[in-house]
Amino acid sequence: MSDEAQQMRGKMSAKELSRKLTEEYLQDARTAHEHGKYVAYTTAVSPVELFVAHDVIPIYPENHSVACLTKRMGTELSMAMEKKGYTSHLCAYARSDLGYRITGKSPMGGIPDPDFLLACNAQCFTLTKWFEVLSRKYKVPLFVFDTPQWIRDPGARKEILKYCIRQLQELIAALEELTGKKYDYDRLAEVMVYSRDASLLYRKFLDMAAYKPSPISIFDALIHMAITVYLRGTPQAVHYYQTLVDEVQEKADKGIGVVENERFRLYWENLPIWFKFRDHFNLLKSYGANILTSLYVHAWSYEFDISKDPLETLAENYVSVFSNVTLEERADMALELFRRYCLNGSLMFINRSCKAVSFAVYELKDIITEKTGVPALIFESDMGDPRFYSETQIRTRIEAYLETLQRREAEGV
Amino acid sequence: MRIGALTKLLEVANAPYDRLADLKKKKRIIGSTLADVPEELIYAAGLHPFLILGTNNPIRYSAALLPDNSCSLARSNLELVVGYQGDFFDGFILSQVCDTTQHLCDIWKRKFSDHYFENFLAPRQVARPSARDWYAQECRRLRKELGKYTGKEITDDDLWRSFRIYNENRALLRKLYDIKREVPALMTNREFFDLVKATFFMDKEEHNRLLREVLDWAEQQKGHLQGQEGYFKLIIAGIVVEPPNIYDLIDEVKGNIVGDNLCSASRYIYHDVPLEGDPAEALAERHVRKPHFSPINSDVERIYKDLLELYREKGAETIFYIHIKYCESQDYDLPDIKVRMRQEGIPLLELETEYQTTHLAQMKTRLQAFCESVLGRM
Repeated sequence: MSDEAQQMRGKMSAKELSRKLTEEYLQDARTAHEHGKYVAYTTAVSPVELFVAHDVIPIYPENHSVACLTKRMGTELSMAMEKKGYTSHLCAYARSDLGYRITGKSPMGGIPDPDFLLACNAQCFTLTKWFEVLSRKYKVPLFVFDTPQWIRDPGARKEILKYCIRQLQELIAALEELTGKKYDYDRLAEVMVYSRDASLLYRKFLDMAAYKPSPISIFDALIHMAITVYLRGTPQAVHYYQTLVDEVQEKADKGIGVVENERFRLYWENLPIWFKFRDHFNLLKSYGANILTSLYVHAWSYEFDISKDPLETLAENYVSVFSNVTLEERADMALELFRRYCLNGSLMFINRSCKAVSFAVYELKDIITEKTGVPALIFESDMGDPRFYSETQIRTRIEAYLETLQRREAEGV
Repeated sequence: MRIGALTKLLEVANAPYDRLADLKKKKRIIGSTLADVPEELIYAAGLHPFLILGTNNPIRYSAALLPDNSCSLARSNLELVVGYQGDFFDGFILSQVCDTTQHLCDIWKRKFSDHYFENFLAPRQVARPSARDWYAQECRRLRKELGKYTGKEITDDDLWRSFRIYNENRALLRKLYDIKREVPALMTNREFFDLVKATFFMDKEEHNRLLREVLDWAEQQKGHLQGQEGYFKLIIAGIVVEPPNIYDLIDEVKGNIVGDNLCSASRYIYHDVPLEGDPAEALAERHVRKPHFSPINSDVERIYKDLLELYREKGAETIFYIHIKYCESQDYDLPDIKVRMRQEGIPLLELETEYQTTHLAQMKTRLQAFCESVLGRM
């Protein structure tokens, strides 16, 4: 650990450290060209390690959109885009981003323009189309890392991996062409160690939700996942998660829970409703309920095997993310969270913005409720646009659901 | 005056499940969905490939399986098998090209757990050499899996024979398209595209036989019919044209469709499988040469470059873009396509539609108004 990092850890809380690292990261990106570096837009689930090892700073339009949506700018930015002929039923991230491109409005001073674009469709198909729009706008190359669905067939998986590894080789060639520099595989090996360590620590942090009472809620996970999304592969991310894990462990050791008298430990399906964070947390808290986890926040708890060829372990991890596995495997992943965290309730959100995660939710609910015997609430809305959020209706439904859980508890179910 | 072969093809296109009920007695029927499943492999396995093109009937069951912002192609495909024609099929091979189709595969498989089922994982990029190799690899996997299903290995000879039959089918359809393009009075747009549609359902050799008869008739007729007078030439862009009554509206205003990039037409009939080398490589070679398809990433400017090329090559006066509501892929492309066409001075009419659209009066008014005001046709 560097002296600087030690010093930071000694003085700063994880929250303060997060703010500092974010500011430095954005500053690096904004001055990238002055330092002979490049800026690449990429998707949150993508082999960003290849960028980090090649002086290409990854920027995530999704993260910028999250900042816009939490500041309740979703409707305004979407409407700017709709005036240009796009529809209001696209992904709220894309709508915010395209709206930002038109209006220049941003809660954080915007993000630098890209030199290169990478879309990994293990996360979703939408990103490919959204980035195609950006590729035409900025006249920069778009590389689509195509990850076929990770079907449960060992023979097929072997071939899928080969296809993915081949594409990562193509991506490296594209990066060499962009920068005019030969790729440094030794540096990639170092980056992989940092990425592995940060991912393991991030997972350790998420797994602290297994404590009773839980010292974290999903809202903490959603805030703290930002660093692993945009700084994985760096020593800063490792230091950050070590700080965070230490802090949360201390709370767990003292038996401090996020919710007093914790009664209901809930699973959340889908991305969050970014502009309703606090309201949802407070509503649930009043019933002694806490959402502990989701497959979404676990999407970045990778398990890189650094004894393998870096391209192989990158391909294995990114192709098998929850949004790219079969329905049955996704249900198994969710059920594993139910077991690990002793969950006894489930809020399943059908997000109009996200077809990739939402379209299987009806079937997923059937499987999960059948296997756990725990009732689930399904409701529909949008993760970023308040126009599609029906306040009274959703609140009433959540309250009714929590009352159902109370009744079951009283009946000893 | 229609000849019998043409009448039969049109009947099959419009009522395939009634007209082809006997098929099940001869072969097992494998349904596939748009786009890009290599049907030649299914045919070579001694099975009957049947391309599922949804239903225009009301949605009753699939609304409970897919959210209402899924495209009507996905919803009506699922509805067709869950609500109407599930018993018609022995198995399914479904391709995944977008988020909707990926989930559709999972839901479908769960609903038909007693059927033969395969995902066909076509590459969702054709920008780089890896795509071609991956398509070939998926063809090899499918060949093996089909062999396991039938209990009989598919030989290279089976494949070459299948490729020849399919190539002939495509060549016949292209030839007929050429004649129809030059002599629009020969048959309506609806008739021509129905005739293409019949090939998705019928036995290919039977379709070829009937097509040859139609072509002989077309060759005899064309000299006696007027050419392009009274018609305007247009390009149809999109994935599918549904409901098919949209063709009727175009026929009413005397539009002559001279080119398209539809999955249900040119993407299916253009380019042949090379009859040499490794069979899987040959299928891949055809795949990467197909017309541009919006969900498959390639050069990002192909969304309008290909359309411009088609428009100019065919001497068209306008482009009609058939926009299937909630098709995300088209949603992202359309604004840029419109801007580019405006810059080029090319009139483009967007027609938003769904499989279950039953009232076309509004669309008819728009189409007529466009023809009058933009194309100057009264």
